[in-house]
Amino acid sequence: MLRIERATKKFGGLIAVDAVDLELRPGEILAVIGPNGAGKSTLLNLLSGLYRPDSGAIRLGDLEITRLSPEARCHLGLGRAFQIVQPFPEMTVRENLLVGALYGKPSTPRPEAERRVDEVLALTGLAPRADQAAAELTLVEDKRLELARALATNPRILLLDEVMAGLRPAEGAAAVDLVKRIRDSGVSVLFIEHVMPVVRRLADRVIVMDYGKVIAEGGYADVAADPKVREAYLGKTA
Amino acid sequence: MRTVFFILALAVVLPAIPIGVWREFVLDAAQFAFITTALALSWNIMAATGQLSLAHGAFFGLGAYAAALAVNAAVPTPLALLFGAGVAAISSLLLGIATFRLHGIYFAIATLAFSEVMRTLVNKAQFVGATFGYPVPAAFGGAGGILTAYYLSVALLVLATLVSLALQRSRLHYAFAATRQGEAVARVLGVPAVRMKLIALLISSSLAGLAGGVYGMKTLFLLPPDAFGVHRAIEALVIPIFGGLYTTAGPLAGGLILVSLENVLRLWVGEGYLVGYGVVLVVAILFMPRGITGVIARARRRRKEAPGAED
Repeated sequence: MLRIERATKKFGGLIAVDAVDLELRPGEILAVIGPNGAGKSTLLNLLSGLYRPDSGAIRLGDLEITRLSPEARCHLGLGRAFQIVQPFPEMTVRENLLVGALYGKPSTPRPEAERRVDEVLALTGLAPRADQAAAELTLVEDKRLELARALATNPRILLLDEVMAGLRPAEGAAAVDLVKRIRDSGVSVLFIEHVMPVVRRLADRVIVMDYGKVIAEGGYADVAADPKVREAYLGKTA
Repeated sequence: MRTVFFILALAVVLPAIPIGVWREFVLDAAQFAFITTALALSWNIMAATGQLSLAHGAFFGLGAYAAALAVNAAVPTPLALLFGAGVAAISSLLLGIATFRLHGIYFAIATLAFSEVMRTLVNKAQFVGATFGYPVPAAFGGAGGILTAYYLSVALLVLATLVSLALQRSRLHYAFAATRQGEAVARVLGVPAVRMKLIALLISSSLAGLAGGVYGMKTLFLLPPDAFGVHRAIEALVIPIFGGLYTTAGPLAGGLILVSLENVLRLWVGEGYLVGYGVVLVVAILFMPRGITGVIARARRRRKEAPGAED
């Protein structure tokens, strides 16, 4: 349903994303992994519209969205959580979500948006923190807010950038359950992750990137056993 | 909220308060205070989207001159004022289209340049008297005397306040605040940030132009360095900072306090009164970084957190 076709993005002489082909299927949880600097976050920025590719195309269903603005993509159902949490610091948790709920789909009436916010607060366990200033949250709560705000836009597709990084195992497990529940509610998920146990438990399919290219694709076990992947992570062994 | 309505009510009943020989002076000073405060409220609306404008002196001046031109062409006062607001809004649209890719300080500098260009143009414009100045007839042909002019400025202040309050209660409030606090994130959440900034700019510049129009009909004479001066743009931003940014009560209370203070200092200290004014501002910004409303909000929170304390 979401497809990248031979997308390339260069920064000066650096090719961050190099002719990448990728498809997210309906109802799927797809992991994108790879060493630091492999181009994963750039890929997400291409998908959510913060960057435009130098060449190639991005399609959502039958619609080409390569040149669409981030807000237009959000309106089409593309939600995104950032790796570096960036809550609106002067707003409460509830207000943070309300931005997404009011504007995620054009002209959502206020009562409907408020209902959506309550739903998402309950789903993500942020309800007790709803009226706290976003600047006062802990890192774990920040990460959950990041995810919750993306969910508040009522997306069909959710792009997650390392939302588990920095969480303790128990918190990570709760987050894994949460993402599964989100998928079961009919949302397709593409996520970037470094924590391998999370990838193993969550992903239906894994794509491995290195130096801007896709070097492997498949189930977790296949990918983990792939010599190219081991080389990318561990370096060449003699 | 109560503060806001109290201030507005006070403005309405002020002429009825028996203060003897001071009445005329107070009403006169109050009009300038209301006009300047309305300008500050308008600046604050634009600042809510994170755009720091130094062009509000220009919107004010354009509104003043355009309304004056219209009145001199025998257009009725309300229409002339609307015309002034419209001219300011159109000029802001041109500025906006040219500069909205700019952020923060770069945007501020572009708006300052715009302001200077406008002042220079009007300085050369013979049809509005250029450097000699341009006479303006009183509002409604002077009917009703001082009270007409006074209540026109009250109406302007009430309008600016109501627009500011309405925006704060509307859904736009969330879009403006999100755009200011993180534009890229706001866009990914579906907020059309550029359109939001343009909407804020249009509302803001129309109000500033309206304030200019009322100002011209009050002073009855316009000079480019006065109507377009950078001091006006500075005043428009100092007041919300002093009172409390992104609120309605803040610029409203801040404007009335600062402009009154300026008048009092001018009367008591005379020459060099601006030094005292400057000292007050520096102290205020050092000790109340969130303005008057920030201090009040903190006091309220403290009282709530310490129940049983004297209350």
